[in-house]
Amino acid sequence: MALQDWKQHKRPFAAIASGPLLWLFLFFLVPMTIVWLYSFGQNSGPADINITGTLDNYKRATEWLYLSIFGKSLAVAALVTLICLVIGFPVAMAITFAPEKWRPWLLVAIMLPFWTNLLIRTYALMMLMGSNGYANQGLGAMWEGASWLKTMVGLQPLEAWTPVQLLYNNFAVVLGLVYVHLPFMVLPLYSALDRLDKSLIEASLDLGAGHLKTLFTIVVPLAGPGIMAGVMITLIPALGAYLTPDLMGGTDSQMIANVIERQFKRANDWPFGAALSFLLIYAMFILVALQSLRGDRTKTGER
Amino acid sequence: MAQFHRQLFKRPPIAPLDYTRKAWMRLWVGATLLFLYAPLLVLMVFSFNDSKRNAVWKGFTFKYYEKAFANSSLVDAMVNSLTIALFATIVSVVLGALAGVLLWRFRFPFKSAVEGVMSLPIIVPEICLGVAMLIFFAKIDWPTGMPWPLNLSAITIAHITFCFPFVAMVVRSRMASFNREQEEAAKDLGASEWQTFRDILLPHMKPGLIAGALLAFTLSLDDFVITFFTSGPDTVTFPVKVYSMVRFSVTPEVNAASTILILLTIALTALALKVQGVKGIAETH
Amino acid sequence: MKEFGNTGNLRLGRRSLLQSLGVAAIGISFGGLAACSKEAAKDAAKTGGTTKIAPTGEEPKLNFYNWDTYIGETTLADFKGAGGADVNMTLFASNDELFAKLRAGNAGYDVIVPSNDFVERMAGADMLIPLDHAQIPNFQNIAPEYQDVAYDPKRKHSMPYTWLTLGIGYRKSKVKAVPDSWKVLFDSDEYKGRIAVLSEAGDMFRLYAKYLGKSVNGLTKDDIKLIEAMMIKQKPNFKAFHEDNGQDLLLKGEVDLVLEYNGDIAQAMAEDDDIGFVLPKEGSQFNSDNLCIPKGAPRPKNAHAFINYLLDAEAGKKITETILYPTPNAAAKALMPDDYKNNPVIFPAAELMAKCEYAKYNPELQPLYEEAFTRVRAS
Repeated sequence: MALQDWKQHKRPFAAIASGPLLWLFLFFLVPMTIVWLYSFGQNSGPADINITGTLDNYKRATEWLYLSIFGKSLAVAALVTLICLVIGFPVAMAITFAPEKWRPWLLVAIMLPFWTNLLIRTYALMMLMGSNGYANQGLGAMWEGASWLKTMVGLQPLEAWTPVQLLYNNFAVVLGLVYVHLPFMVLPLYSALDRLDKSLIEASLDLGAGHLKTLFTIVVPLAGPGIMAGVMITLIPALGAYLTPDLMGGTDSQMIANVIERQFKRANDWPFGAALSFLLIYAMFILVALQSLRGDRTKTGER
Repeated sequence: MAQFHRQLFKRPPIAPLDYTRKAWMRLWVGATLLFLYAPLLVLMVFSFNDSKRNAVWKGFTFKYYEKAFANSSLVDAMVNSLTIALFATIVSVVLGALAGVLLWRFRFPFKSAVEGVMSLPIIVPEICLGVAMLIFFAKIDWPTGMPWPLNLSAITIAHITFCFPFVAMVVRSRMASFNREQEEAAKDLGASEWQTFRDILLPHMKPGLIAGALLAFTLSLDDFVITFFTSGPDTVTFPVKVYSMVRFSVTPEVNAASTILILLTIALTALALKVQGVKGIAETH
Repeated sequence: MKEFGNTGNLRLGRRSLLQSLGVAAIGISFGGLAACSKEAAKDAAKTGGTTKIAPTGEEPKLNFYNWDTYIGETTLADFKGAGGADVNMTLFASNDELFAKLRAGNAGYDVIVPSNDFVERMAGADMLIPLDHAQIPNFQNIAPEYQDVAYDPKRKHSMPYTWLTLGIGYRKSKVKAVPDSWKVLFDSDEYKGRIAVLSEAGDMFRLYAKYLGKSVNGLTKDDIKLIEAMMIKQKPNFKAFHEDNGQDLLLKGEVDLVLEYNGDIAQAMAEDDDIGFVLPKEGSQFNSDNLCIPKGAPRPKNAHAFINYLLDAEAGKKITETILYPTPNAAAKALMPDDYKNNPVIFPAAELMAKCEYAKYNPELQPLYEEAFTRVRAS
């Protein structure tokens, strides 16, 4: 793909570039720079910050306490991404191979919950999962059924049903994050699978490879960039999630975004919050850069 | 499990690639959809519950719909949200399309830096961007108390900032499949820069634009954190309102309002699918 | 308790079917609604006949930034009916939010409701304007002990709206004895996994101080270390750290013991007979929510008029009937029924109250509380 040099097309370049670049500078870089400067400052009163050029905030942010929370958040986000991939891949496959007239409706069906307010979705999920919620009632009914069956065949009945603890623990956080981020994963997967040349799969099947073998040797490698995109687009917001762990988590479910949020609100320590935020931004930036490096390499490989 | 699959795959009437007709595949998709929709269904059902708490079913009532509609601040918040989402989407699509084309078409100095910065709004923690916007608008003394809908401008600007990079991303990936020769051919035949853009580039870009618009609309409509920091007394949006209402307890009134919003979304989506042609959206991805 | 429940139900205030049908009709024409309501407002202003000036000489509008469920059912309409401004109430969910939002500048709020320590903090940061007591004659309705307080000497910046105290809300049928000591929450595994405590670091540390027999304002760095260790030890027994929604967890049966404000539990008791509240014998922490005018308020005169109205005896009574919080307004309290005035949840016994203290704003300790609490959560 031949790129045009901007010098040879100055007018169209200016027409195209000025809008987005100006916007990005004025309404993104300028505000973010203020916060970035704050990360080198310290509180000098309840509502005043002195930018002193100190590195103390970063020093504190890289203490083991915060690094361990950071590591834990990364682990949770990675687990969520993996589960989303496992659930989402067959769904994306199903949509890809669905009859043409179904496809948009299936896509919309996946997207639709996404258009409901995140907070409301989270509360709805919590309603379902509470100690006296429907998930527990359903499990309880099944338990009773099993107990009844046992007595029918002359065995001792099971002990009384005690509700399972579904909420307020790390399981709930992972489940909640999967619930929220699943559509993020399905869409890029679908767009990658859709572009795939289906005759390759047919050829593989004709040549005697099984479905699973075809999946792992043909489909997955070809859909690689789509999988990567899906992973990034799920991992990054999951890493920055704070509402779900806040509402559904237990006593040890805090994630890094919760800590950052508390610095900006409760602790009223904006410089430290800014330093933590920028550490997170640097980390994500590295992730993205790694991915684009990888992307470049696959591209050259294809050529 | 694998054996089970193979057994299913052996069934003759199903073509090898007819994955959708495989029972286990249907079951999987069905279970996923159940997972996605069960909470929403519970929420909708409980909006008719005749109890202030969402815990137990006490009887059927419409009263929370009456309450939701009579709650003018809730209705105002919904209108604000939709207005902001609409404006933010329009501007984001324009800016995002330009940015996408810019990155796809030109070679220019500091291109990778621009690319990096462009992806930043996507990765910055929301709370950080929210605080940045709060300080920014306070520092430049952005006028408050303007008449509606001008008073929504600060929120709309903030939304555009985090929405348009998503549009740019989608548009750019769409343009990757564009055949450059078409553009050159058009130019050889004497089409101007603008004509080429309108007649050749834009039609190719369209699915990307639709996808980007959907994404931007969704993001804007759902945003709470950044909006919270940029909203004032007259510019409360639906998520901000809901957040302040459910912080203490989720009332059926909130459920009712959400149900209305869900139904509205379904109606709008169905309409869009009918009008835009079902294919347009499917091609997007 | 039964009669008490009735007062609680008052606030449901059913609207007439006719009215709601009308509103629903507007709701259906959703798109044009914004225009509609703006037009309607304009028309109303016109048909009102008078020029658009309130008695205060300002435009008849007021932005009130309040907590949720923290005003009488009809208070805002009554104020307007009494010739006051049109009050636009928006809600915040915590003092931190209020502070974070206002610290960079005031986006147009006229009256806000910060708690005592935030009054101190905001006054210290020069974010509040001094009140003109001449414009608030209803100040005389306030009980003497709330007329001059340490966190705001001579009530220079604030007027008391409610006060409240932290205690233990519990499900009567699930506890063996009344949990009248912080020990049950902080230092015992008797109710393992059935306890929820506040997620607010400062409050938690201060209440532990009470349990240890110290003043809420007398903590040292060593105390914080000690308390941190106690919290880490007790953490497996907690089910969750909750925001200000503990009463909800209790009502839903998620937990059986919860650390909450007396007013919130009083609201929950109005709905569920099986819920109780106790102020632990070691004493507790007082809080008070106050009406203040933030710097940069566009309509300070309306704000004064509104604050004065909220301190009115009759208006105060209506507010109290709805929110069931203890009121510092002696004149309003006098108008309330006995089951409110004599309710030990709302007005705990004097000897217990004597052991409660206001928390002072402490800029040095606050970050330490936060960091220690982050460690507790991470452990």
